[in-house]
Amino acid sequence: MIMKQNNDFYIGWMDKAPASYSRHIKKVIILLACLVLIAALILSLQQRKFSTASFEFGQLTEITGTYQQAPVPAVKVKTDQDVFGNSTYLTIPLVGYGKFGAEGIISSLEKEHNTPLNGKEVVLKGTLLYSDGKTLLQVDKNDNPLVSINKPLLKTLTTRQDLGFVEVKGEIIDPKCYFGVMKPGHGKPHRDCAIRCIEGGMDPVFYVRNDKGEANYYLIAGADGRKINDQLKDYIAEPVSLKAKAVQIDDWTVLYLDGNTSIKRLGGLSWFKQQDNSISCSPR
Amino acid sequence: MGASYTAVGWNRQKKNYDWLIAVFCLGYLGIFISITLLFNEQATFETLLLRSTSTLAILLLHVILAIGPLCRINTKFLPLLYNRRHLGVTMFSLALVHGCFGIFQFHALGNTNAVVSLFSSNTNYNSLAAFPFQALGFFALLIFFLMAITSHDFWLHNLSPKVWKTLHMFVYLGYLLVILHVMLGVIQFEKNPLFVLILSIGSCTLVVLHLTAAFKEKKLDDRLFALQQNGFVYVCNSDEIEDSRAKIFCIDKERIAVYRHENKLYAIHNVCKHQGGPLGEGKILDGCITCPWHGYQYLPQNGQSPPPFKEKVNTYNLKVIKNKVWLNPVPLAEGTERPGVTIM
Repeated sequence: MIMKQNNDFYIGWMDKAPASYSRHIKKVIILLACLVLIAALILSLQQRKFSTASFEFGQLTEITGTYQQAPVPAVKVKTDQDVFGNSTYLTIPLVGYGKFGAEGIISSLEKEHNTPLNGKEVVLKGTLLYSDGKTLLQVDKNDNPLVSINKPLLKTLTTRQDLGFVEVKGEIIDPKCYFGVMKPGHGKPHRDCAIRCIEGGMDPVFYVRNDKGEANYYLIAGADGRKINDQLKDYIAEPVSLKAKAVQIDDWTVLYLDGNTSIKRLGGLSWFKQQDNSISCSPR
Repeated sequence: MGASYTAVGWNRQKKNYDWLIAVFCLGYLGIFISITLLFNEQATFETLLLRSTSTLAILLLHVILAIGPLCRINTKFLPLLYNRRHLGVTMFSLALVHGCFGIFQFHALGNTNAVVSLFSSNTNYNSLAAFPFQALGFFALLIFFLMAITSHDFWLHNLSPKVWKTLHMFVYLGYLLVILHVMLGVIQFEKNPLFVLILSIGSCTLVVLHLTAAFKEKKLDDRLFALQQNGFVYVCNSDEIEDSRAKIFCIDKERIAVYRHENKLYAIHNVCKHQGGPLGEGKILDGCITCPWHGYQYLPQNGQSPPPFKEKVNTYNLKVIKNKVWLNPVPLAEGTERPGVTIM
């Protein structure tokens, strides 16, 4: 008994696929092309907006100002005069190359020039980072960052105002990534990097967003003004609440924490909330 | 087949397949990067690279995992299966770019080794919310790496098909790790319900396809064979089997293919020695049973690949009495010669 032979069989090493397979695969290819197009459009359009932070990679800038060791290594730069004729200043915290703070390189520059830099007017060369009205400078040994050390013509006064104890909700960030190097420079995807930066001596910053979406940034220090980077590791880059003594020092506010008992974790798993209110400011 | 190996045995279909992979991948990367830059002038190269490669790799992973069950549901999808390993290697290459660049971006230039940093930066392994999701991605990448480097038939032959297949089944663990990597990682930052929905649709589609394919095969496997005579089981009538084709019967948890060729019947084990393809869904070409997955061939009378190839499968005894086909499910040694049973 001879049955009708079914020739409709696909095999990859044949030159041509049977017509029925070709027709089917053409439809599948069109479907896949649509899938690729739709996926690329949705995924690219639905990302959160990138921040406007800038890192002037490859571009060195010289700044002149008074170097101050505390609360964080920074250069206080005269910017302008206010309506009363008083000088206005911008404090530019310093950060090191890679995932390091600036203390190491400042210390080696002091040894090299055999003089402490604190309180001296310096001309520093480095790479600027800026966002949201805050500016930082990356100092890298390979850039020969210390251009000159001058005697200050006038002593720059530090304005200091005690703001009392506050409770704020926000996120501990590493300022180098947040203010320019990485986008995003905060949140869960960036946590490991922020931990590595803060463990490397970068001075941590507390990022708080108010109900209007405006951001505030605070420097963090221990109650005695010392670094507490090693106590922050478990709280970096996630919503936390801080209880601290706040002191306005020039154009930065410093939060002085009394150990990690002042930090409380707020976050949980959250896949749907577009706006995360857990980092809004709540002064006590 | 298993006589000798070349890096890639190119043929027209493989070339077409690879061209399509390249066009789709470059098209996706081009669209993703262009649209992101169009609406986000502030986007950085690093983030574009990390996001474009990772999203494309996940898209490819879904396509790769869908091809298997789709082919079991409808053989018209077989051309997608033929060169799936190239799709897998492409997916791994994209994931590798994402992984290596991510490790450099987030862990290099710090106070500890970048790979050590991957596991020691975030140590909240006891918290789901704070879980170090990058470690999950690392292990997924490791699985895909092992699969990619063993994807060539050289490794299939040297590791043995069983070990090779077991290793490659780890793709499902890799997929789970990828999903957790995304859900506990970037989605915790983006918090966009659309991303959760897209990922859920992808996962649910894969689950439904796998279940549908499994149920289809279960129906075949659950058939009971009541009539038995001296160890032989009545399976079907001879005119139910098309010429040059087979019917598959599952007896005692073993699938056996009964082929009809030039008015004779032959029975061989259904599982191809190459990648476990269903020989009973193949066809006799040039006198050889040809596996539908990658075209491996076996002679119907002895289950041996034609020389110089060396693959062998079990053969079985058959008899035909009054148009009824009786099969003895006890396997004969691989490659045992059995003359075809003539259909009266």
